[in-house]
Amino acid sequence: MKHKLVTLIIAAMLAMPGLALAKSDLVIAVDSPPKSMNPHSYNSDANLSYMANFFDGLLQRPAPEGRLAPALAIEWTRKDALTWEFKLRKGVKFHNGNPFTAEDVKFTFERMKDPEFSKFLNIANSIASIETPDDFTVVFTTEKPVPWFAETMHQNFIVDKESSLKRDSGDYNTKPIGTGAYKFVEWVKGSYIRMEANPDYWEGAPVFKTVEIKPITEDSTRFAAIATRQAHILSGVPIPMIELIKKNPAIEVVSRPARRAIYMDIGNKPGTPFADVRVRKAIAMAINEDEIVSTVMRGQATPAAQVPDTATIGYDPELKRLPYDPEQSKALLKEAGYENGFEITIAGPNDRYVNDKQICEAVARYLARIGLKVTLDVKPKSIFFDELSSNKHDFYLIGWMDGSYDFGRSAQLLLHTVDPDKGMGVYNGAMYSDPKLDEMIAASSAILDREERKAALQAINKKSVEDIAWIPLHYQQDVYAVSKAANVIFTPRPDMWIVAKEIKR
Amino acid sequence: MGRYIFQRICQGVVVLLAVSFICFLIFRFTGDPVLMLAGKYATQQEREQVRIAYGLDRPFYVQYANFLGNALKGNFGKSYISQVDALDTILERFPATFELALTAIFISLSAGVLLGVVVSIKPKSLVSRLIMAGSLGGISIPTFLMGILWVMLFAVYLEWLPPFGRGETVQIGPWRTGFLTLDGLKHIIMPALTLSGYQLAVILRLTRAGMREVLSEEYIKTAWSKGLSPFTVIVKHALRNVLIPVVTIAGLSFGELIAFSIVTESIFQWPGMGNLLLVSIFETDHPVIVTYIMMAAFIILAINILVDLLYAWLNPKIQYN
Repeated sequence: MKHKLVTLIIAAMLAMPGLALAKSDLVIAVDSPPKSMNPHSYNSDANLSYMANFFDGLLQRPAPEGRLAPALAIEWTRKDALTWEFKLRKGVKFHNGNPFTAEDVKFTFERMKDPEFSKFLNIANSIASIETPDDFTVVFTTEKPVPWFAETMHQNFIVDKESSLKRDSGDYNTKPIGTGAYKFVEWVKGSYIRMEANPDYWEGAPVFKTVEIKPITEDSTRFAAIATRQAHILSGVPIPMIELIKKNPAIEVVSRPARRAIYMDIGNKPGTPFADVRVRKAIAMAINEDEIVSTVMRGQATPAAQVPDTATIGYDPELKRLPYDPEQSKALLKEAGYENGFEITIAGPNDRYVNDKQICEAVARYLARIGLKVTLDVKPKSIFFDELSSNKHDFYLIGWMDGSYDFGRSAQLLLHTVDPDKGMGVYNGAMYSDPKLDEMIAASSAILDREERKAALQAINKKSVEDIAWIPLHYQQDVYAVSKAANVIFTPRPDMWIVAKEIKR
Repeated sequence: MGRYIFQRICQGVVVLLAVSFICFLIFRFTGDPVLMLAGKYATQQEREQVRIAYGLDRPFYVQYANFLGNALKGNFGKSYISQVDALDTILERFPATFELALTAIFISLSAGVLLGVVVSIKPKSLVSRLIMAGSLGGISIPTFLMGILWVMLFAVYLEWLPPFGRGETVQIGPWRTGFLTLDGLKHIIMPALTLSGYQLAVILRLTRAGMREVLSEEYIKTAWSKGLSPFTVIVKHALRNVLIPVVTIAGLSFGELIAFSIVTESIFQWPGMGNLLLVSIFETDHPVIVTYIMMAAFIILAINILVDLLYAWLNPKIQYN
């Protein structure tokens, strides 16, 4: 027994130099650990970011703009309001050698309907049937018109039918088998994920042979990782430390406007002061967003006039922010009969968005200045979102970014009157309700023509801003740090995913 | 004796029951896991579908009874997030935490006793005063501040030690160890120092108090007057009698180090159980949280019982009846 142990230890010691050499060509530190290696287990961008290296969707969105491009499908068409046809790429193989066919696509979307495997119920349940006329054609028919169906196809990663059915859930959830540019090597939970280049990748083998992604949740530790050159690229640079990092000559800071907009959601429940559009306008004009950007966000944000970002279908370049004008706010309040103010509670999460709590505090100060009696109610996101779903708050801070790049779904979830039977208004926590807006949202879903649809979505967006159904604050800024010694060309993506095949030398 | 052990085990079971019940009570106020489970774009109906699929629609007492029934069979449920067995998820992280706690307790015991003896021999010297002031810092400076200061000093400015993680590890059967590689050893120094800070100060002060009491005893004076060497007097005659309470405290705190190394682990991105717990709380992953807390309670209870029994064995004057 003792001998065995000694032999083991000696063997391990001998293996040491080998291990030390096995350092990866590219090391990336990120702020969020992977939850699972099942590509459908979690639909946050933080987890999809890992999956995008092992798997491909039918379509993809390459950096920097994130425009829809072919991936496992080479072309796609919306045949009519309900039917979508995808022509698949030939000659693609999964990492285990199995050929990729239409059967795998059908299997993937059917599995996505099972709550035990999938958090993509929304898109999967919208599918009524999947036909596979031949090995390289897939035809989806949806229950209702889903105009953004193809727009989400970069998020729905295709799994191998044969091995997925064979493996138990423990294996399936920890060892991904996809068609992606990188093959899975090792996942040591809490430490790192290692991957190696897939030499047979259909786009050609990626530049870096071995890649390691390290999740570091603590801000100051993540800073230390780049300062001590333990990582080549750092995503999620903590805002308070940006100046410190910029001073370091060995590190380059790369940033781009994020897709996520931060806004104050406001309702119009009859009987509350918010029912009067003048009150909503007064609140909007009392908030000094430029000051929030320069002080709370330290310049790492862009003021927003609307909730969708520039890349989203439905973004309207004509929309302008209301000016900051507290005097005008007071006048509007007086006009509406609230000269002496009223009681208002500002709710929000304190662990979800960049400086969320500080933004709420700033908004509270601005509203106090126009004479409102403000109560602040910020709390951890798990409790806050629970309260949101029971419509407890009339006025709160929240952020939104829709993975589909289409304002249609956002409008249904955020703006439409709360209607559980139709699945509308899930995130309309303040219960804003406007029958005209509801009609416009319903009508937009059936429009097939892309330009016509874009105009319809822009009209919804414009109306929501003009009627002050919400008060947009700013778009966050995604900040990365790149070690100059690493000699890499890194282009950030709009969705913050770290897709290693897009990183070049 | 056998009766005493039986009693203690019964008490332990009651404590575990109470702990799990309190966990379930608290879960009712920590947010709805369905929101996370159903995904970002789920409609209200899809949320209900998920609620039923996970049995979260059933009343509180039914959920609790189900949990207890399964736990008795050793099944603590699956993590909501990773869909992997909750107990396995935690046990996978156990070696990292255990090695960290072991190193920390080793540092606090050896350094604590050594410094305690030094301080008790020359209590008025400058060195002793400095050590005592330092120990006050060890007790009062919070772990997270200590950890960040270590990182700033040794990793960022001096660049002697790596700032985070466990480094290269070696897998031996089910155990992944960092003790066998130079890289792994370098990585454990700072987190272990941080974690040991408080215990070190406590052990130092305990040793000092004990030593000062013992050094004034008659038998020590006799030993000095016999002309024995200072080493024999201090180590063999005095320290031996001081060590029993010190070792007891160290043993008891070992369980706490394993169960509550959360702050240290999160500062150093140490891939242990504490780190996992923090992420699980953030994501409302109830099965992992309750399993972790049950396990922590179990470890502390087991160590307590063990220390009590060892006590009786070491000191025959103590009897449990």
